[in-house]
Amino acid sequence: MPLDRTATSNSMSPITVIWSMSVSACLTLAGIHLLVWVRNRNAWANVLFSLTAFSTAAWAFCELWMMWADTPLQFATVLKWGHVAVWSLVLSLVGFVRLYLKSGRPWLAWTACGLRTSSLLLNFLTGQNLNYLEITRLGHVRFLGESVSIAEGVPNPWMLVGQLSLVVWLIFTTDAAVTTWRRGDRHRALTVGGSIVFFALVSSIQAPLVFWGIIHTPVSASLFFTGLVTVMGYELSGEAVRASQLDRKLQQSEAGLHEIEERMRLAVEGADFGIWVRDLVRNEIWATEKWRALFGFSETERLELDKILERIHRDDRNAFHLMVEKAAEGDGSYQTEYRLVLAGGETRWIDSHGRVEFDGSGKPILVRGVSHEITERKQAEHESQNLRGEIAHAGRVSMMGQLASALAHEISQPLGAILRNAEAAELFLQDASPDLEEIRAILADIRKDDQRAGHVIDRMRGLLKRQDLDKRPVDVAELVGEVVALVRSDATARHVKLELTVADHLPPVFGDAVHLQQVLLNLIVNGMDAIDEVKGGDRRVNVSASLDGPHTVEIAVSDSGPGVPADKLAHIFDPFFTTKPRGMGMGLSISRAIIEAHRGRIWAENQSEGGASFRFTLPIAEEGI
Amino acid sequence: MNEPTPIVHVVDDDTSFLTAISRLLRANGFSVKTYSSAHEFLAQRDADSPGCVLADLQMPEMNGLDLQSALTETSNPLPILFLTGHGDIPTSVRAMRGGAEDFLEKRAPQKKLVDAVTRALARGSRERELRARQRELRARFGTLTERELEVLSLVVQGKLNKQIAGDLGIHERTVKLHRTAITTKLKVQSVAELTRLTQEAGIFPESLRTFPKGQ
Repeated sequence: MPLDRTATSNSMSPITVIWSMSVSACLTLAGIHLLVWVRNRNAWANVLFSLTAFSTAAWAFCELWMMWADTPLQFATVLKWGHVAVWSLVLSLVGFVRLYLKSGRPWLAWTACGLRTSSLLLNFLTGQNLNYLEITRLGHVRFLGESVSIAEGVPNPWMLVGQLSLVVWLIFTTDAAVTTWRRGDRHRALTVGGSIVFFALVSSIQAPLVFWGIIHTPVSASLFFTGLVTVMGYELSGEAVRASQLDRKLQQSEAGLHEIEERMRLAVEGADFGIWVRDLVRNEIWATEKWRALFGFSETERLELDKILERIHRDDRNAFHLMVEKAAEGDGSYQTEYRLVLAGGETRWIDSHGRVEFDGSGKPILVRGVSHEITERKQAEHESQNLRGEIAHAGRVSMMGQLASALAHEISQPLGAILRNAEAAELFLQDASPDLEEIRAILADIRKDDQRAGHVIDRMRGLLKRQDLDKRPVDVAELVGEVVALVRSDATARHVKLELTVADHLPPVFGDAVHLQQVLLNLIVNGMDAIDEVKGGDRRVNVSASLDGPHTVEIAVSDSGPGVPADKLAHIFDPFFTTKPRGMGMGLSISRAIIEAHRGRIWAENQSEGGASFRFTLPIAEEGI
Repeated sequence: MNEPTPIVHVVDDDTSFLTAISRLLRANGFSVKTYSSAHEFLAQRDADSPGCVLADLQMPEMNGLDLQSALTETSNPLPILFLTGHGDIPTSVRAMRGGAEDFLEKRAPQKKLVDAVTRALARGSRERELRARQRELRARFGTLTERELEVLSLVVQGKLNKQIAGDLGIHERTVKLHRTAITTKLKVQSVAELTRLTQEAGIFPESLRTFPKGQ
């Protein structure tokens, strides 16, 4: 036999080649998958597979050794230790099926494992090994063209426990494969379940026949298991390929995500936006560096709502709260503008957009927001508002200048009366018996004239005063009457007949009397200026007020001047547009601004009988306003 | 002559001022009548009574200047004083050219006002006397015949009887007879008095214009 063996080993016998290849293939796969597990400790399927492959390699090695065994004892010893490999093979495969197919009845698994463990114990406790009570002699048979050793002896009856364990194991695996198949995962059911069942069935049929001495061949179960290991290895490598594909995809999407993030960051930086997220559940606030800089927080400072609120201007804090609360009740989005007051006293205007995120039950869980500084815009707005105010004020002042002579007359009238009355009273008092009734009447008149002069001054001051619209119900007849009274003397001096036509029972309009008087004054003065452009003829300005529909009063100022050239009608309300040689072109544009602020309309038209008519509408003060 | 008391007619659309100034004028001893518009004054005015007008320059419809021109066309053109809240030069010039007695601000010192009214009343009475004398003279001249007027016109031109007889183609004695009739009717003593009276009565405007030059 040693000769034989040497001869065969020299010529590399097919058995040595095949079994060695099996061993090395199994060891390679075992090593690879062990490494997979080392890198990823969660890959338990891989470590179990590695154990399966390693066990198969060990068993194949034992088989080879048994085939070349010189003595019955050597054969028996190798077979005894080979059972350790079988035990670990069965257990690892049970575990693999449970893990990989995620099916199989646990009680079958435990039974199979228990029986196999019992077999291992019996292997060491009874007979020479589980299979033989005693190997009496070694027989030699031709196998793959070579003479190999086979055992002959008394079979160990406890071998039945081992074979029972294999049957239970087969049932367990078949059941698991069927479950997996039914579950729809047919590929795995076939490749893993099917191949285990197939190879295990074949090997567990051959081995008992050999051990019971029914057929005389060496045990070659390792070849079948190598086949099984190959199929499983293929399956697992497919898994690895899929994993790597997934990984690549993940990387790609991560790269995409990174790209999006990068673009987002650029956009955010470019737009000077600060982004913040407030987690309402964990009560945490996160914000970008830009946001921190905007709100005056350092990069590491912990953000707390109270600290942020402290920096919001006292007057804006409530509005801010209300806005966020309303957003939480509504569709979740909000937009607000508020001021920040920073430590150095610097004030910043912030525009903030945000959205509240809700959980399934509609409870707000997260608020995301974008803030950016709008201080410059606010300043510009403020300045332009001031400028508008100043222009309007300048317009009023220049109009007052035009009316100065008329106003001087308005005031000198009562003052003159007061003076004359006082002088008369002085003279009456010089009488021996002064007429006290007369003096009392004089004093009453003095008081009345003083009030009259005071009213003129009040009106003038009202027109000069820079003020916001203070809308309230205004009596139209009173409004128009007062303005007409104001310009009456001016009109007289300019030989213009000022007519007043106010419809009876006009409802009050809703507006600011002082501003509306300014408009009327401007239109009347314009009308008188227009009349001066015509030599001779009718010199007349008519101011009329009438109801225009159920909710509107129309006031018109019509003159007997030359009218407005048709091509200029459209531009006459534009700022700095003027037809007068010394006009500023502000009067009508201010008038339009005032009327529009009253939700009214102002326009000019030429009358069929000649002259221009400037008209505007005002909303009626509805009941309850 | 038992002249009625002169009246100050105050015209102003501002009733308050109207009351005040009339009180002051009354306290100063004037008789005052008030009107709230020029039309009202023109309608109520006594056709022949002494006085003056104190009118606001700026009034609606008919202003002070309109009133002034309307007044000058009547038989009793009372002197007019203007009142104004504030004087503007073009209007005051027009007013003064139209023969306004004075131009006062409404708040002018009392003395100035009273003096102006007094002056206007004096002028009014002077002009009134003048008008009365003219009327009386014209009545006297009205008794002369056509021929006597013709003779008179030549006499006041300084022509001698002979020249007059030649101019009119009548006898020199006839001229003497006419002259006697004229001096009797006009109750004058001398040619100088006759000339002064003729001038005063304003009978021959053309000759009056040349008369001062000729002498």
